[in-house]
Amino acid sequence: MRILLDKFSKSFGNTKVIEAMDLEVGSGEMLALLGPSGCGKSTTLFAICGIHRPTSGRILFGERDVTSLPSQERNVGVVFQSYALYPHMTVEENIGFPLTVRRLPAGDIKKRVAEISALVHIDNLLGRRPAQLSGGQQQRVALARALIRRPDVLLLDEPLANLDAKLRLEMRSEIRRLQKETGITAILVTHDQVEAMSMCDRIAIMKEGEIVQIATPSEMYNDPRTAFVAGFLGNPPISFLKGKALSGAFVSGDGNFRLPLGSLRDIGDGRALTLGIRPEHFGPKGDLVIEGKVAFAETQGRENLYDVVLADGSVLRSIQPVRDDVKLGDCVRWNLSSEAAFVFAEDGRRL
Amino acid sequence: MRTSRTLGIVMIAPAAIMIFLFYLMPAILTGIFAMTNMSTATGISGGVFQVTQGAVNRLGPDMPELASGIAEPRFVIDEEGLAALEALKLKPGYAAELRGQHIGEVFASRREAERVIKALKDRPSTREVKQISDLFNRSVLNTRFETRDALIGNLEKLGFRLKPEEQDKVARETYTGWVWTTDNFKVIANSPDMAKIFLNTAFYVAVTLMLFNVSYALFLAVTTHYMPPATASIFRAVWLLPRITPVVIYVLMWKWLTWDNGFISMFMGQFGVPPKNYLLDNAYNAWFFVILINGFIGASMGMLVFSSAIKAIPQTHFHASEVDGASRWQQIRYIILPQLRWPILFVTCYQTLSLLASFNEILLSTRGGPGRATEVWSLAAYHTALNNYTGNLEYGLGAALALMLVIIGVILSLIYLRIFRYDTLISKPLIED
Ligand SMILES: Nc1ncnc2c1ncn2[C@@H]1O[C@H](COP(=O)(O)OP(=O)(O)OP(=O)(O)O)[C@@H](O)[C@H]1O
Ligand SMILES: [Mg+2]
Repeated sequence: MRILLDKFSKSFGNTKVIEAMDLEVGSGEMLALLGPSGCGKSTTLFAICGIHRPTSGRILFGERDVTSLPSQERNVGVVFQSYALYPHMTVEENIGFPLTVRRLPAGDIKKRVAEISALVHIDNLLGRRPAQLSGGQQQRVALARALIRRPDVLLLDEPLANLDAKLRLEMRSEIRRLQKETGITAILVTHDQVEAMSMCDRIAIMKEGEIVQIATPSEMYNDPRTAFVAGFLGNPPISFLKGKALSGAFVSGDGNFRLPLGSLRDIGDGRALTLGIRPEHFGPKGDLVIEGKVAFAETQGRENLYDVVLADGSVLRSIQPVRDDVKLGDCVRWNLSSEAAFVFAEDGRRL
Repeated sequence: MRTSRTLGIVMIAPAAIMIFLFYLMPAILTGIFAMTNMSTATGISGGVFQVTQGAVNRLGPDMPELASGIAEPRFVIDEEGLAALEALKLKPGYAAELRGQHIGEVFASRREAERVIKALKDRPSTREVKQISDLFNRSVLNTRFETRDALIGNLEKLGFRLKPEEQDKVARETYTGWVWTTDNFKVIANSPDMAKIFLNTAFYVAVTLMLFNVSYALFLAVTTHYMPPATASIFRAVWLLPRITPVVIYVLMWKWLTWDNGFISMFMGQFGVPPKNYLLDNAYNAWFFVILINGFIGASMGMLVFSSAIKAIPQTHFHASEVDGASRWQQIRYIILPQLRWPILFVTCYQTLSLLASFNEILLSTRGGPGRATEVWSLAAYHTALNNYTGNLEYGLGAALALMLVIIGVILSLIYLRIFRYDTLISKPLIED
């Protein structure tokens, strides 16, 4: 079922959290909401599931306007950031609660609880109470509770934050599989860009209550609209160089380093620019040589990660296949692919 | 180490003394008084031995001879009387003849004694006969004896030779001070009045507790929870008014409402109903108003406790349950009520005890009437021990009533703890030591 936010605004008293947000999530699509803490991700989810009434604007499920519909009539499954498990109920009662309030026969509830709990690997914990569970187990109970009544819309507020690496990987594909199979429209709030990129069809990046860019993971990665977006995606993150335009090229602060701007060569001289260079575009290969000193070296098993300090003090990150000829403190001359560098204006807009 | 320990004892001493004086002593004294027959009649210090008409009546069934004997006056010609006679300075012949001829004689009635006196050689006048016979009057009826030996000695002089167990009985029945006894509890157990009062109390506590102190309080707490905060505080403040109004004034307002010329009577007068006292009209009305008066006062505490307990439930639980499809009613049933188990237990327990112990609203409104229709246990204790219709305040019996109230309260609390499964309310610590 398609979700459409139309000029959705939300403020608490005088604090405006979201202003005139437009967002469309296609039927059966899974969208990641990515953004720094406090940017309004949870607020957006709360409005979609009906806990918060929008200050203005409309929310549509399919063609149905649900703006003033209570939560109970929206058929939305939510995994809350704080789990919100009922402390006085057992795991089984917690998971079965959405069915209990629908007055399903106890036998059916038991059967469906057994199914769904096996799916999230908590079938051995059904008799316990939430206080007797680990954080990750609680999270899976919350997930099971959101899924059990087969919602039209699934909202996940950082559902995997507390899981260990292996379980997280497993749950990622599990959630994705479930979502695809059932055709649920889902919104996933996360801080983890790997999670966003691997699980979702599209990513929406939020900043201070606004959606900065919404695109598929690869588009978002390869064609960021602002420096903020470019900085948000990618691990290790992109590095930025400050400088200005001079006769059709980017020149670093101390003038040591020039990068031809190609299609942007008409930019007026003296304009302040920021260059964004992803770590995989700085290394042995490339068309432009840069000299610097290794200030940090780390191996991640298959790859090595280096921080290189340039003459003007700015830092470029590099990620390369494992090699052991470069040590901390070495002077290196590495190359940069000028084509792959992003050029941003002073206000962060990509040029 | 040692100094700190003694310091601790010194620090706690004032508190310990306070606890002993003001918490333990009243309970202990109640227990002690309950085992006595103290009353206004016995006083609370020691007593004397006195053959009252009541004592004679009590002795009657077992010792009819003694009873009828001591009830009558007795006249004995003894040295004591003779000395008194000599002091009167009448004719000396009287004393001399009585000492010579009649010393030690006992007469069962004044008439017999006076016949002997009249027959004296010096011929006393009628007035003197009466005067002399008075001196030899040794009747024990209504005479106070400071000790038991004095009483028994006097009875012996009068010719009553008593066996030791008879002496015990006479001493017991004539003692006017208080004695140790368990009779209070027998009286309570056997009196049909007390059975009625017991049922009254059970009815009053159960109905007020269930309808008002818990149900109505829950209703108020839940409804205010779903109101906007400002409105909710206004409503809570209004429902607190009965609690913060001085009880005398609050009850007075109910009386204005229900008196013969009160509001209800005036209102019903519009329809031609003759005015009457709705409060004391009949037992049903009296109970109706007694329960309302107490209920409206009592509900506020439950409301406050329940409200704050509901506030303590995280907002996300309400959000989650709404999203899960729970209606308001289901939210109350599945989310709020289960989490209010402990507050409900607390309020039930606390209010049972305060309802059992409190009687001031009833005293001020119906005084236990009409008749004794709304007399409850604690009011009965008050009436028995402190404000009796007949004027004889029976401290011992009152204390026994109070003691039973305490015992009933403790038993009820234990039962509540069982019903609400207190142990499951205390969650186990996650970290074990
Ligand atoms: N009930 C509220 N009253 C006032 N301000 C609120 C309320 N709820 C949220 N806010 C504010 O709205 C902003 C967005 O909050 P929100 O919870 O949506 O952030 P978020 O993006 O989910 O952050 P996080 O990643 O830390 O969960 C924050 O600045 C927060 O302080
Ligand atoms: Mg959040």
